[in-house]
Amino acid sequence: MADQKHRILMVSDFFFPNFGGVESHIYYLSQCLLKLGHKVVVMTHAYGNRSGVRYMTGGLKVYYVPWRPFLMQNTLPTVYGTLPIVRTILVREKISLVHGHQAFSTLCHEALMHARTMGYKVVFTDHSLYGFADIGSIHMNKVLQFSLADVSQAICVSHTSKENTVLRSGLPAEKVFMIPNAVDTAMFKPAPERLGNDEIIIVVISRLVYRKGADLLVEVIPEICHLYPNVRFIVGGDGPKRVRLEEMREKHSLQDRVEMLGSVPHAHVRSVLISGHIFLNSSLTEAFCIAILEAASCGLLTVSTRVGGVPEVLPEDMIVLAEPDPSDMVRATGKAISLLPNIDPQQMHNRMKKLYNWHDVAKRTEIVYDRALKCPDQNLLERLSRYLSCGSWAGKIFCFVMIIDFLLWRLLQLWQPTEEIEGVPEFTLPHHQDEEIISNFNKDQSLG
Amino acid sequence: MVNRRYGYLHECKWPLEAIDMHHVVVRKSNAKGFFVYLSALIVVANAASYLFLVKDKSIIILLWGFLMSVLLVKVMFWNRVMKESVVVMPTFGVQLETHYASGRIVHRFIPIGKILKPVLLECVSPVTCYWSLSLLLHGEAELTLVLKDLRPPVKMLIPIWKALCDASDIKEFSDSWKDAN
Repeated sequence: MADQKHRILMVSDFFFPNFGGVESHIYYLSQCLLKLGHKVVVMTHAYGNRSGVRYMTGGLKVYYVPWRPFLMQNTLPTVYGTLPIVRTILVREKISLVHGHQAFSTLCHEALMHARTMGYKVVFTDHSLYGFADIGSIHMNKVLQFSLADVSQAICVSHTSKENTVLRSGLPAEKVFMIPNAVDTAMFKPAPERLGNDEIIIVVISRLVYRKGADLLVEVIPEICHLYPNVRFIVGGDGPKRVRLEEMREKHSLQDRVEMLGSVPHAHVRSVLISGHIFLNSSLTEAFCIAILEAASCGLLTVSTRVGGVPEVLPEDMIVLAEPDPSDMVRATGKAISLLPNIDPQQMHNRMKKLYNWHDVAKRTEIVYDRALKCPDQNLLERLSRYLSCGSWAGKIFCFVMIIDFLLWRLLQLWQPTEEIEGVPEFTLPHHQDEEIISNFNKDQSLG
Repeated sequence: MVNRRYGYLHECKWPLEAIDMHHVVVRKSNAKGFFVYLSALIVVANAASYLFLVKDKSIIILLWGFLMSVLLVKVMFWNRVMKESVVVMPTFGVQLETHYASGRIVHRFIPIGKILKPVLLECVSPVTCYWSLSLLLHGEAELTLVLKDLRPPVKMLIPIWKALCDASDIKEFSDSWKDAN
């Protein structure tokens, strides 16, 4: 493990106060990297009135750049519009490496492009799986090919995701590392008292959208309720498919057996999970699925669709897999109900503490950073040759885009020389109550 | 203390050396003046060429061109801020002054008791980041900018911030900034 400390800029459109897998990945990874002695700064777009510089736990500095999101939390893609602000942040924070997150983040792609133009090393983490056939995926994959043509290293959260990213982007497999996500086991602990098995409670917590298999739930829930009279459902989450679930509940008169909680703040997810025995995940595609880690950490047996990277996440005795088909999911749920007497939630939690650990993720990411910084520097001409290989027309367009970016950067250096951008002084934070929380989190993560 | 755009000057006013004055002065930019006058010339030249090419139009077009040029020069120069000053009068208050190229001076006085805390903040715009010095005032939800129009570097803001902290009797953070520097 290297002793060299890095100054990392994490860039993504997806960060707190928005909540999701990418957001929590960036947050927890940043906290652990700070603990390892690195300097981490996050750059994202403004969320409503949350604009400017904010400091989070542990001194994590976040730049909420006032660029309005225009579609699904993504910043409006202007290609060159973010060059001045990215340059300013990179210079004033004395960044050594840029780490972009999520293929669907326009801010991430633009920042990576500008960082490469300015000669910084870049690392990219892909959090999702994408298709190859539909028009949206074709365009997205072309953008990814452009963005990753010149990246130093890439990280994927599962082997399936790595294969998917390599195929979509054309990146050499040896440049792609597989580092899984982890879970905050200090936060997700089982209930102090084990639940009785007279009534079996199945918990579903997800966004109620097509991609998360909400339509499968509409078929599966009534069937399970019919076959197992002692089963009750708790459904947390919101989305466009909620209406379908409400209709299903009315149609089959399951109001007393299916409880709809609506949107559940992340701070309350654990309290919902520990009220159940089984966690049901019906996603149609998942690169990793942090939700089932959280459920397993709370001691729930998981029933999930066998899609994407899900089979890689949990050991076979902690998860029952099913095809994304209603009848197979009902069969799997029945099997999970029969396995329940053998499940010890506390034992499951202890195993999860050993299997998944954000500190381990941070240490592995550190290796990737060291590898990226050892990559040789390349001038513009050497980099352009990589873009030319992206396609007969696309390659030329990409080269043109990079040349213009380079020229704009040089113009910016004349307009505002690097010496005029003041560096940010380093502050030592005063002791405060959050330190106790960080200390508990770190103690728990390092046990096992 | 100077850089390419700003100069900082600190003086204690005679006969009462207790009165602490901090000035941030805008240095002359030849490039800006050149571009403004060039733009004005282009506007006039366009109006004149239009007048001569399309002969049946009246001379009012040329007069409008002159008027636009004068307005352009006025907006760019006459309303330009030349200097901003912070006059710290301990136990009494703080006077914030903005000096314009036209000779106009805008004053704002803040009694010392109204100042809760002077703060140095990092501001983020869509294209850049910069430091600003603001005052937290009792009973006001919004921050009061000490230097409203100018954005000097933080090394020029620090002595003003320290003077404001000393005047409003806040010691702790001025020392921690000194350590950081």
